[in-house]
Amino acid sequence: MIINRTLTFVFLVSILFFSAALHAQVKGLIQVRTVQGDDNTSFQDGGIGLYRHDTKSDELILSQGILDFNVDLASSWSAHGVLNLNQDPDVGLGLTQAYIKYQPLTDSKYKWHVRGGGFYPLMSLENPDIGWTSPYNYTNSAINSWIGEELRTVGIEATLKRPAKRFNSKHSFSFVGATFKGNDPTGTLLAWRGFALHDRQTTFNEGVNIGPIASLNEFDLRWQSGRVLPFEEVDGRFGYYAGVHWDYLKKSQFRVYYYDNNGDPSTVNYSSGQYAWDTRFTSVAWLYKFNSKTRVIAQVLNGETEMGANALIDNAFYSHYLMLSHKEGKHRVSVRYDYFKVTDNDTTAFDPNASHGEGVTATWRYQLSNSWQLGVEGSAIKSFIKNRAASGFAQRISQQQIMLNAQWRF
Amino acid sequence: MTNMIKVLVYVFLLCASAQGFTANITIKNSSNEPLANAVVWLTASGSTEITVPEAPYAMSQQNREFIPRILVVPQNAKVEFPNADSIMHHVYSFSKAKTFELKLYKEQPKAPIIFDQTGVVELGCNIHDWMLGYIVVVDSTVFAITDENGKANLQTGAGEYTLSVWHSGFSDISNVETKNVIVGTQPLEYKVKQEVAAQIDFATDEFDDY
Repeated sequence: MIINRTLTFVFLVSILFFSAALHAQVKGLIQVRTVQGDDNTSFQDGGIGLYRHDTKSDELILSQGILDFNVDLASSWSAHGVLNLNQDPDVGLGLTQAYIKYQPLTDSKYKWHVRGGGFYPLMSLENPDIGWTSPYNYTNSAINSWIGEELRTVGIEATLKRPAKRFNSKHSFSFVGATFKGNDPTGTLLAWRGFALHDRQTTFNEGVNIGPIASLNEFDLRWQSGRVLPFEEVDGRFGYYAGVHWDYLKKSQFRVYYYDNNGDPSTVNYSSGQYAWDTRFTSVAWLYKFNSKTRVIAQVLNGETEMGANALIDNAFYSHYLMLSHKEGKHRVSVRYDYFKVTDNDTTAFDPNASHGEGVTATWRYQLSNSWQLGVEGSAIKSFIKNRAASGFAQRISQQQIMLNAQWRF
Repeated sequence: MTNMIKVLVYVFLLCASAQGFTANITIKNSSNEPLANAVVWLTASGSTEITVPEAPYAMSQQNREFIPRILVVPQNAKVEFPNADSIMHHVYSFSKAKTFELKLYKEQPKAPIIFDQTGVVELGCNIHDWMLGYIVVVDSTVFAITDENGKANLQTGAGEYTLSVWHSGFSDISNVETKNVIVGTQPLEYKVKQEVAAQIDFATDEFDDY
């Protein structure tokens, strides 16, 4: 909440400060969908379902309401903001990104820029469209569903780039480093709910329901809220990440990042019920264009998270996906396979965290005009989550969902 | 009689220059292969005033590329920079012949820029770092870019000229090669002395600025 207010304040003040040279570029996207949902109640509504939707959402719903601002402040300065309107689980308006970018014009062949504020680290290649949406599947991969809900940089990121063309080379390299606050509870959802498949990005002022977790009634976890506030600062420490991008002719794009929120697992904010989780991982993403129509995107995420004194919770997590997308005229077809797993490495018997599963998602999109797009998507997930048993659910469930989407952008 | 012949020759030459004369030029690289996309221009011996067209030239940005990649203009020509993309481009040059920056939006065209000094102006976009374009400002109105066979046809009068040749693959892009030539009925051929780096094509699309 504080982060959200601070970001909004910084954003507005900087716009006013630079208003002399102001030029704003505003883009928007509205996407509505109707879903043949799964019987299992969505985690968003306190259920064990790993989709955003369930049978309760078998009606027309607003799946994306995005307003993207790009305000040109001065020669090298710009401000960016993404405002999201959601109706599930509750109607809400909030920012998912708000940052200032400094990108100086330089005579050097090397280029550099700095971003400060709240934004996504650019470790994934699945979400290059407006407001961090995907132009491929509607439902994000398990990795990027998680990044969209629990990960955001609230800090400063610097990028140094060696652009291929300036060196008459086939290879481009970027070196990225960042330090940030917030993101202390990041990892909470993986430990209890596990990975999920959806396209619901968390705004800075929101929390996410963890679902029915029996162990939260235990004495040792009495301070933990049933809702994670992923962008909160709990331990006062800075986190960091570093990444390298390597492009070959833009035909092959490779990104590797190491992220560590540097959380102090022994700290807890008693009033908000949020722990600092020590979450660190490596992400490797690769995009390859066979030609201008067909591409493959893959990503692997491998990391660990720890919470509570004496490793009360100590988990390892892993996920990968492989996506194939083909565009033919106004049609785009994308098919993706996801695998995800959380390994419980602690000795806390009352709180099992192990989970694993896999999913298949197939999407067909049809571009009616520049601003209108229609699409249909089918998806299936099989998941095993150990802690479901303690809440009286089957540990192993299968879920399916079909949705129709209509998208309008300006 | 000799006077008569002289007059006839002059009349012939005058007719040739008035009607326009096509100089066929072939440019080859150091390995004697035809060189495409070379910029060639002819400057008449002895300085003559060049007449610059009133209408501006255009270096547009489309699908995150400069179109054309190479634009040749006479000195003092006006060039406008229309943006056909729905996103902003931040076009700049640090070249000696012209240093400038323009933030360009589709819906907000900027006034043309006058290129008042000869030389090669290398263009970049601060947002899309793979965008690379060139404006070659020459002291002539007789210029062309060679086709895939290394050939260019220049409309001019017969006589003595300086032939200038430039290619974006030169390692020093300010290094223009020149040679004195006589434009007549014979086709011209010129072999560049510098090494020419091959142009690298990038497979960019609308999602690559992420």
